Amino acid sequence: MIFHSLDFLVFFLLVVAAYWGLGHRAQNVLLLAASYFFYGYVHPWFLILIATSTVIDYASARGMERRPDRRRWFMAASIVSNFGMLGFFKYFNFFVDNVHAVLAAAGADVALPTLRVLLPVGISFYTFQAMSYTVDVFRGELRARRSLLDVAVFISFFPHLVAGPIQRASFLLPQVEGERRFSIEKASSGFTLMVWGFFKKLVIADNVGVIANKVFALSDPSFDVLWAGVFAFAIQIYADFSAYTDIARGSSRWLGFELTENFDHPYLARTPADFWRRWNISLSTWFRDYVYIPLGGSRATGWLWARNVLVTFLLSGLWHGASWNYVLWGLYHGVLLVITRSHRILRPAAKPVHAWMQVPQTVGMFALTLVGWLLFRETELSAIVRDLRLVPWHSSPLDRQAGLYLFLLAFGYSIPLWVQSLWIEAHRGEPARVPPPVALAFRAIACGAAFAAILVLRSRTSLDFIYFQF
Amino acid sequence: MTAASRTALTHLLVAAAALLMLPLGIRAANRLHPAASLQPSYLPALEGPRERKPFEAERVPALAALQPTWVVIGDSMAGSRIDPAVLTRLTGGVTAPLQWAGSGPAWWYLALKNWVIPSGIRPRAVLIFFRDTNLTNVLFRIDATWVLDTAARDREDDLNAAVARRRGTAFYQARDRIDRFYGAPQARRWLEPAMNEWPARLLIPYRRQRAAFMDQLNERFGLAHLRPMDAADMQATEDREADFHAFVDKSILPLMLRDARQAGLTLCLVRVQRRPIGGRPPYQSPALKRYVADLKAYVEANGGVFLDDYADPNQTLDLYEDGDHLSREGRERYTELFASRLARLFP
Repeated sequence: MIFHSLDFLVFFLLVVAAYWGLGHRAQNVLLLAASYFFYGYVHPWFLILIATSTVIDYASARGMERRPDRRRWFMAASIVSNFGMLGFFKYFNFFVDNVHAVLAAAGADVALPTLRVLLPVGISFYTFQAMSYTVDVFRGELRARRSLLDVAVFISFFPHLVAGPIQRASFLLPQVEGERRFSIEKASSGFTLMVWGFFKKLVIADNVGVIANKVFALSDPSFDVLWAGVFAFAIQIYADFSAYTDIARGSSRWLGFELTENFDHPYLARTPADFWRRWNISLSTWFRDYVYIPLGGSRATGWLWARNVLVTFLLSGLWHGASWNYVLWGLYHGVLLVITRSHRILRPAAKPVHAWMQVPQTVGMFALTLVGWLLFRETELSAIVRDLRLVPWHSSPLDRQAGLYLFLLAFGYSIPLWVQSLWIEAHRGEPARVPPPVALAFRAIACGAAFAAILVLRSRTSLDFIYFQF
Repeated sequence: MTAASRTALTHLLVAAAALLMLPLGIRAANRLHPAASLQPSYLPALEGPRERKPFEAERVPALAALQPTWVVIGDSMAGSRIDPAVLTRLTGGVTAPLQWAGSGPAWWYLALKNWVIPSGIRPRAVLIFFRDTNLTNVLFRIDATWVLDTAARDREDDLNAAVARRRGTAFYQARDRIDRFYGAPQARRWLEPAMNEWPARLLIPYRRQRAAFMDQLNERFGLAHLRPMDAADMQATEDREADFHAFVDKSILPLMLRDARQAGLTLCLVRVQRRPIGGRPPYQSPALKRYVADLKAYVEANGGVFLDDYADPNQTLDLYEDGDHLSREGRERYTELFASRLARLFP
């Protein structure tokens, strides 16, 4: 089921209405049933995977606690089953294609089997979430839960099941287990978050997505047109993914839950490290805690540290999809981090930057981010090479005008995003002192304007949330 | 209830009220953009009143004067496969092409109903070229109103009913009602062009140059500039469409077969093939295979002829320009092959 459908609206209203009339345990039973209904709405067989993953992780965690001498075995069972399913559905064809390419290069053209099944949506998200539970139990940071129901609700909680944010067991499980009370404060803020999320998805992401799709379908883009398309994609992926997060967080609040924030205005980042503190925070911190730090993290120095960063980002890239361009995207960001950090190590006495330098730094970082998005969006390596070879002076006057036109078009749709980001950034640390009546009026007008925009400006081409595919 | 809760409740109620009330301003804004030229749509199940292009009535006498042996209807699938001059030369019968790149099944049906049948011609066959599930997806390219208008009368009740059946899910009905309540369809008529044109206005102040730029821009993103895979995969069928029995009664297929039968015309439906891959025909999902078998049985049971290009050993990769369009040379070869198929089918 997708958020921007009437099916979801009806489903959500029914769940909320029934939910608050139930006791705590019945609420969890309802949440599990609703989450499984939500997930299996189009493809019921997906439920087999999530249920299997849940049972194995529950049993593994319990096993670790009961038999500490065998905890490594139980951990291995959890890792093998989770990554086995993820690897099979997500990476099997990638593996086969690459083996085939290697064999073909060696002169052996062998027909290898390929998998012709849908990639279960959200498998990467709930696999990582489930893994965080077993790893934390393995490390002794969390006790294994006795209730399979609670663990199942934690893994399948429908608002964030398909595209995150990935929640840690230590954060979400206590909320699943604890009594929940309806909070009008949470409901009110959740309502605004949901409206803002729908606006970002239907008005911003879907409209600029059309521009990006058109540009990336061209066989002969020029420099100007291509980078206008990359800019449009940058807006699309941020608006789309953060919209999902906002709707997930907003709808969770109606059920008495709080999910972690996943974005912190990433396009205002000034360095690669800053960007990764702001972009897909739940995934970044997952990789930090479960890959980077166990590898040695920042405790390592020199090449070892650089290796840790590159391995972490390579895996992060691969998490996004079974394709070399994602690997390249991950490595690119890893290299950016290594370079900027090395610079800091080499020049430890560098003075803090002046406020006026923050603008070019932000613009520069955004430009570097755009290069990353090009690697992310182009699936063919040959196309990436072609794109990176394009130069502005080869563009025709029409292409120059077309590029500027597309850039302005995408920028026009993204103005609300920039305004929000700049406002938040300007008031970071010291909340804006807006008189309550003004805040109320602004919020009301924003909600009304957002709905009006959804009515008249929503794209005719409604696209799926991008992160569904991951 | 605490003071904070009361404030939150007030915020929620005011925000919800504003969400419902403020968009009523759309109706007021519409008054600034007079709707004098709006006409009732022939597809009220799909859209509200709008400006429309006129029906091309001159096609009817033109067909009557031509008295073709073959009428070819379709989009670029037909256009890139059949060379009318070559088909005419090889079969000895005049070929009348009724093709529009970017058209969909609704237009094909209207071309048959409003042009071919009223012309009173008796071709040996009316040939309609289509991709996999096009014939049972009435919504495919139905938003291409600039094409549809050319073949549509003031009322198209049968087509509208098919669209309503296909689209008549609770979601669309509810969305349409909300849209119309707030005057959104009318607002889109003036707001969409404004949204698309403001950057061009900024860059090019003169109207004529701006119009030329927009035309060039459309051309720049045309099929000729698309990557081969994108050109093909844009049209690739999805399995959720490959359920023949779920969609046939919500499509134009029964209407086309009925109208052709009543007019004494032979309808020949030609399913085209996407490019072969690795010397083999493109992959077909089990659902699509079932769909094609059901389609064939249905067409033949209703007096039509079904031709399937799939797995035709003569349609090799070298015929193709991209994913599913043929090259100039490929078009000529395809027409030759097709002429011999017609000779066998209609001796």
